[in-house]
Amino acid sequence: MGLTEDKLLYKKNKIKRTIIDSDIHNYTSLDEIKKYLPRVYREQIDLWGWRLPGSLYLNGGTNVGQRADSVPPNGGFPGSDLDFMRSQYLDPFNVEYGILTGSDYSCQATPDADYAAAICSAINEYTLEQWIAKDSRLKGSIIIPKQDPLLAVKEIHRFGPHTDMVQVIVASGAEKPYGNRFYHPIYEACVEYNLPFTIHVLMEGVGINPPTTGVGYVSYYPEYRATRPQVMAAHLASLIYEGVFEKFPTLKVVLQEAGVFWVAPYLWKMDEDWKALRFQTPWVKKKPSEYFLSNIKVSSQPLEPTPNLEMFRQMMKAVYAEETLLYCSDYPHWDFDSPVQTFPKLEDEVWERVFYQNAAELYGLPARKKDDGGIN
Amino acid sequence: MTSVFVGKASEIPEGEKKIITANGRSIGIYNIGGDFFAIRNTCPHQGAALCTGITTAFINSSGPGNFIHEREGEIVRCPWHQWEFDIKTGHMVIDPKKKTKSYDVTVERFDVSVEDKNIYIHL
Repeated sequence: MGLTEDKLLYKKNKIKRTIIDSDIHNYTSLDEIKKYLPRVYREQIDLWGWRLPGSLYLNGGTNVGQRADSVPPNGGFPGSDLDFMRSQYLDPFNVEYGILTGSDYSCQATPDADYAAAICSAINEYTLEQWIAKDSRLKGSIIIPKQDPLLAVKEIHRFGPHTDMVQVIVASGAEKPYGNRFYHPIYEACVEYNLPFTIHVLMEGVGINPPTTGVGYVSYYPEYRATRPQVMAAHLASLIYEGVFEKFPTLKVVLQEAGVFWVAPYLWKMDEDWKALRFQTPWVKKKPSEYFLSNIKVSSQPLEPTPNLEMFRQMMKAVYAEETLLYCSDYPHWDFDSPVQTFPKLEDEVWERVFYQNAAELYGLPARKKDDGGIN
Repeated sequence: MTSVFVGKASEIPEGEKKIITANGRSIGIYNIGGDFFAIRNTCPHQGAALCTGITTAFINSSGPGNFIHEREGEIVRCPWHQWEFDIKTGHMVIDPKKKTKSYDVTVERFDVSVEDKNIYIHL
């Protein structure tokens, strides 16, 4: 939808309060993080390259998935320049806190778990030093070598004590669905540091991960986007039916960038099946939708527009949006969801939950510094 | 209240049941540990003949992979969708309080008495 600058300004001024954005992609360039790697890997990279798997699909926008207008004045990669991120996004959109989710999860799809662990550490250190230390609005995600849960736990112990690292993040592409007990040591560590476990779409079908869907590889990028919920749905059912939330009742899981409203009929189906098949998994003590409400959050981006406003409101209720939905922009990616344009007008209390309070409670972030204005 | 003769107590040994028709209603009479219980032979979900489903235990659990059998013989699973009902009360086990006008998950239950080794249900 094209908007003139005036209209955008008008809409922007309607943001009376600051927001929390739970998905901002700072550029965690391999070239930038290389200096944080141990010597052995730096030398290997010089001799033989990065040996990390890349995407199988096209992307949108320019520069492999970025907003065409997000290239910083210095010509760097979108999301690489904090000053430009401030002036293009954080300041004008009144971002009180932004959760950084990085840009490269390819290490989570390599078979060499030690190498993956080294790259994760490097990304985490880089994020702390080059981003979080420079702007108190920004909070970080601990990327982990999830193909080896014990190494992943070490990484959580390393960065978990740092209060500005507010979640653990993994790609949706995975060797096993995330409820599997293979991953439970990771959840024990997440609970110890009160860190949400965020599953971000990416790396499906890549490297050591199984194909993009249960029936194999799709061919095209829009097709891949359409099938992302299939993988996320498998993770959601797995987390519930493997009893993860009975074993770790305080664990919170975020489903990021796989869409929102598909969750509603999926929960209805799981609830109905639970009535009939409860005795096959008796450790699932509650209706699946109750676990969803108590333990799961969903990122808003990319939000599915509905045919009309009434349907939108019904779907918001059906996914318990007031409790579960986190506003996410996905800046600077091409499918950016603007804080002022994406949602139809929300009731004030719903807006407040989605754009601030749900994330504040999830990540333990303070109330706004100022009640009315934005960031100074 | 009408008393309806079901049969001799010896006809329904422990763990067994008998389905009869009384005043036009199909009713299942169960012997659980020597006590008799009667419920309507109709599932409130979609109308299946509830008492033709298997009589079993409630399977509980202390955690993933663990199965604990409780309340042996007190549960009937509907033959169609396997919803579990407590034979002693007629309530759906996992949702005993759920009652709405259009969606009542409680099965009608009847009092049962044994007099001179004859079983009667009281409608």
